[in-house]
Amino acid sequence: MIVTNTETIAGYRIAEIKGLVQGNTVRAKHAGRDIAASFKNLVGGELRGYTELLTESRRQALERMLAQAEQLGANAIVNVRFTTSAVTAGAAELYAYGTAVVAQPGA
Amino acid sequence: MGEFVFQIGFVVLMIGLGFVAGSIAESRHLAQLAERERRNGPFLVTQLKSFPAYSRTDLAPQMIVGEVVIASDYFKTFLASMRRIFGGEVRSFHSLMSRARREATQRIVEQARELGYNAICNLRIETADVGGSTSSKKGAAMVAVIASATAYTFRSPSA
Repeated sequence: MIVTNTETIAGYRIAEIKGLVQGNTVRAKHAGRDIAASFKNLVGGELRGYTELLTESRRQALERMLAQAEQLGANAIVNVRFTTSAVTAGAAELYAYGTAVVAQPGA
Repeated sequence: MGEFVFQIGFVVLMIGLGFVAGSIAESRHLAQLAERERRNGPFLVTQLKSFPAYSRTDLAPQMIVGEVVIASDYFKTFLASMRRIFGGEVRSFHSLMSRARREATQRIVEQARELGYNAICNLRIETADVGGSTSSKKGAAMVAVIASATAYTFRSPSA
């Protein structure tokens, strides 16, 4: 499965458009992470716990999107976009969406 | 009265700690970013939707995502709260935002390089909301950035 955030794929021709595919997830970290984060707000620096949270969420949302594309019989997803929203404090929703297509090698 | 003095002292101590630790963390991060950007120098980064100077290889283009969450320190947050009284540019958060964006971009570049690509196009950087950053009662500031791009291989026109 080829995944890009561009409308086209260099070196490939889009033979068929299968439609919109999407995946979302809402994840939260345990309270310990939030406490560690509040300490970081004192001294500055990267909040690794929250970075991890974003990475996990993104992976899960992408996996769900990929599963949908596979079901549609697509072999690529183009123009993938992400949006996030805060549902409550410490929990993040990550939504990934793109267009499932059938791509064939050749310009 | 004694309690009041203690509270003021505590806040001053926090600001001092934030200033010292925050400045160290920031200058270290900036130095590290400069070093990584120098090392990744010839890597082509664009936000064009097309694939500039694309050259065909066995490696199909692939989306790469990088994310980072950086916290403000107590001193910066204090400066920002002062700024909110008088209005104007909040410089202390300006560098925080740019550090987060540069870090996310470098993470994409490094991942792409590891996979054997030498360029990325259609770089999209957006700030995310991990909860609490906008609605927190303490005004704890953090920047969450999620950036995505498509990695591909290019051949420089001069070569």
